[in-house]
Amino acid sequence: MKSPLFGPFTTFAKENTKSLGPIQKIERPMRRYSHDDEVDFAIVGIGSAGGVLLQRLARAGFRVVGFEAGPFWDTERDWVSDEAGSHNLYWNDLRITGGKDPLSLGSNNSGKGVGGGSVHWAGFTPRFHPSDFTVYRDTGLGADWPISYRDLKPYYELLEKEIPVSGPAYFPWGDPHGYPYGPHPAARVPSILIKGCTELGIKVSAGGPVAINNGSHADRPHCIYRGFCIQGCKVGAKQSTLVSHVPDALRYGAEIRDNCMVARVEMGQAGRVSGVSYFDSENHLQFQKAKIVIVSGYAIETPRLLLNSTTPGWEQGLANSSGTVGKYLMAQAGNVVLGRFEEPVRMYKGPPANSLTEEFYETDPKRGFVRGFAVQTVAPLPIAFAKQMMVAKGAWGWGLRRVMMDYNHWAPLGVLGEILPWEDNRVGLAEQTDRYGLPVAKVTFELHDNDRKLINFAVKKVEEILNAAGAQETVQEARYAHLVGGCRMGHDPETSVVNAFCQSHDIPNLFVCDGSVLPTQGSANPGLTIQALAARTADYLISQRENILASQVLRHVAPPLWSDLSPGGTSGRGVPRIK
Amino acid sequence: MAIEPASGQTGFSGETEATVRSKSSKESGLKAETLQPAKKPGLPLDPVTRQPLSPMATPGYYPGFSTLSQQNFWDETTRQVVLERVNRPPEIRFFNDPAELALMTAVFDRILPQDDRDEAHKIPIVPPLDARLYQGRINGYQYADMPSDREVYRQGLKAIEAIAEFLHGRAFVELGPREQDEVLKTIHDGKPPAGEEYWQRLNVNRFWQMLVQDAIEGYYAHPYAWDEIGFGGPAYPRGYMRQESGEPEPWEVPEKRYEWDTPPDSLSGEYSPVGGQGETQSHVGQEGTH
Repeated sequence: MKSPLFGPFTTFAKENTKSLGPIQKIERPMRRYSHDDEVDFAIVGIGSAGGVLLQRLARAGFRVVGFEAGPFWDTERDWVSDEAGSHNLYWNDLRITGGKDPLSLGSNNSGKGVGGGSVHWAGFTPRFHPSDFTVYRDTGLGADWPISYRDLKPYYELLEKEIPVSGPAYFPWGDPHGYPYGPHPAARVPSILIKGCTELGIKVSAGGPVAINNGSHADRPHCIYRGFCIQGCKVGAKQSTLVSHVPDALRYGAEIRDNCMVARVEMGQAGRVSGVSYFDSENHLQFQKAKIVIVSGYAIETPRLLLNSTTPGWEQGLANSSGTVGKYLMAQAGNVVLGRFEEPVRMYKGPPANSLTEEFYETDPKRGFVRGFAVQTVAPLPIAFAKQMMVAKGAWGWGLRRVMMDYNHWAPLGVLGEILPWEDNRVGLAEQTDRYGLPVAKVTFELHDNDRKLINFAVKKVEEILNAAGAQETVQEARYAHLVGGCRMGHDPETSVVNAFCQSHDIPNLFVCDGSVLPTQGSANPGLTIQALAARTADYLISQRENILASQVLRHVAPPLWSDLSPGGTSGRGVPRIK
Repeated sequence: MAIEPASGQTGFSGETEATVRSKSSKESGLKAETLQPAKKPGLPLDPVTRQPLSPMATPGYYPGFSTLSQQNFWDETTRQVVLERVNRPPEIRFFNDPAELALMTAVFDRILPQDDRDEAHKIPIVPPLDARLYQGRINGYQYADMPSDREVYRQGLKAIEAIAEFLHGRAFVELGPREQDEVLKTIHDGKPPAGEEYWQRLNVNRFWQMLVQDAIEGYYAHPYAWDEIGFGGPAYPRGYMRQESGEPEPWEVPEKRYEWDTPPDSLSGEYSPVGGQGETQSHVGQEGTH
């Protein structure tokens, strides 16, 4: 057996030190606040939104504590370059899923641990289109946002630098723009997407946008194309808020309490929340006082926490006078169409997220449904691929063994289709309880007519693309990707949970900031938008500093952009704007 | 949680499956006296000569490929996790009734048959499932029309037995491979002809998905399976250079295909939709992709 000449690779950090990738280390002890200390902010959930909020608010000088139900990872000790060994990255605790078209949860769309879902996202970072913010006005279906693309655009540009995003110099869809780092080389699956699209005259983005370093970036190395993006990037090349924002947050005095499950947001005097009750890592119930509570638990845990925080006067759950908490939950259509090719593909090499087309993103009245879809490269590893073949071909037994022996000949492309927000798609509480005795979430989901038409059209289009690229056979697996909604933002307190600044309509010092506030979802992966929204929410809170510190009423005015709050080493050259 | 507390029983630690199975015929009252070894399943055939292909260390089209040979190039944590999987499969603790274990093993032997592998290179796929159920690990959700995963297996195995009795009048483990496939195919097709009392509590399509998924999670997590399908295995910190044209890395091997026919006593070589013909959005994928 061969060995590396100078011995095996090991970069385990010293005791009390965390490795975030092979180079970046967190060495200094974290600041600790006491329970009696009234901190300025308690943030529940340190994922895509929570990580950015924590970093911004700490850098602005606030006293901030983040609560995370999962562990604070050491990427060298805790993560593996292995599919089956990566199961602890997901929210694996019990949830009930039902309705006519039940969603699969767990590994498909949830994270647990510092960094949350951004730890195992594939890393596609397209912006939403300007049309995403006016879906109801334009189509009569779905909802409108209380903010526009223009409100979010500066934050897209900021986060694209901080992440930093690799992508084409010219991205032609939505609001056309370019990217700070060049695209990654195309492995075989992206080549097939590009070839098929080109044959059919469909514009396609060769290489990105993805949240994967194409060149080392501060103490985060460049991508090594090992293909385990959704198992957690041990390299630290793919962005998660764990590697991009959390280290900066800690440097500026934020505290993260990991393995701490928040049980309730507590009401105090005068219609304001007083802090959070949580189970600490030894399962003791504790209370942390805070001036402002921001819930960032994502589309299932955020509604669940608000619904579990009932108290006299709030029998329907906190911030739920509208009855909207938990409703309008969305998943995107994530059907994967797979084509078999004569020549080897070896899809496991390179980032699964590489290339996409948004040519079908907008409403086209000729299609008979509103809104649209994107087509993106994906690349499941063997276990995920075998499960796809079980669904797509009905494979089992010798048939499964046979198609798996052809693993290296298949190229999968993913539909990312917009499913509209429907009131009856929702998160509620189940009868079952978790190990803390808290009722678990019950998720109900059903596709509506527009959704089904869109999915059927999209799957056929991807089949055409694969056939145009020379596929010998195509099959498809129906599935869903991502979750958003459940605490949507809006102007009207009767039909939404939070306002344009993610402040709850009902309780002035309770904020919700994560994917759950999205009123619609477009055909873009939501991660970038969630992080951009968190940066904007942080800017708003910073602009209201005096009122927050004095526990006064917050003014509803758009914040200025605080571009000097980016993590160290990420500011400087801008994202090219294309006029 | 809906998961019942872990069972306090110690199981048959330290014993191999074979000894557990032999005990089953002596100690378990359940049909012990009629238990006969099932007919030995057939092997894949050479399509030209119609002769069985001899069991191999590494079936598949990548002769000589060994992901484990590269283990010194893997990071420490990954190496420990993968070697633990290879060298120390978990002991059986959940399927602690020997008859139930024998049935579970027989079912997985047909869901992911390994008759083309030599004895030294068979992949243990019941132990990882057993460990999952024993520890109460779930994949983050339970369907509203399904009981807990543990109950799914307890009830589902009884349902399989009921179908075997109905179709062939014998226990599943006593059936030949073709008859066993016939039993399983009715579940694959969503049309089980017996066991109504179990199917009232179990959604048959979701049961099939869970069964096949758990077999997949055991088999395709193993380096021997990676060698079989030409998957490169762990790749940190070395990474890959040759992304284009599906080219192998210097330590990988090029594909060398051969033709093989499914063993004639098997029904699982044909592809047909889970749950029978019908609507395609009703069986959805479980894993994250994009």
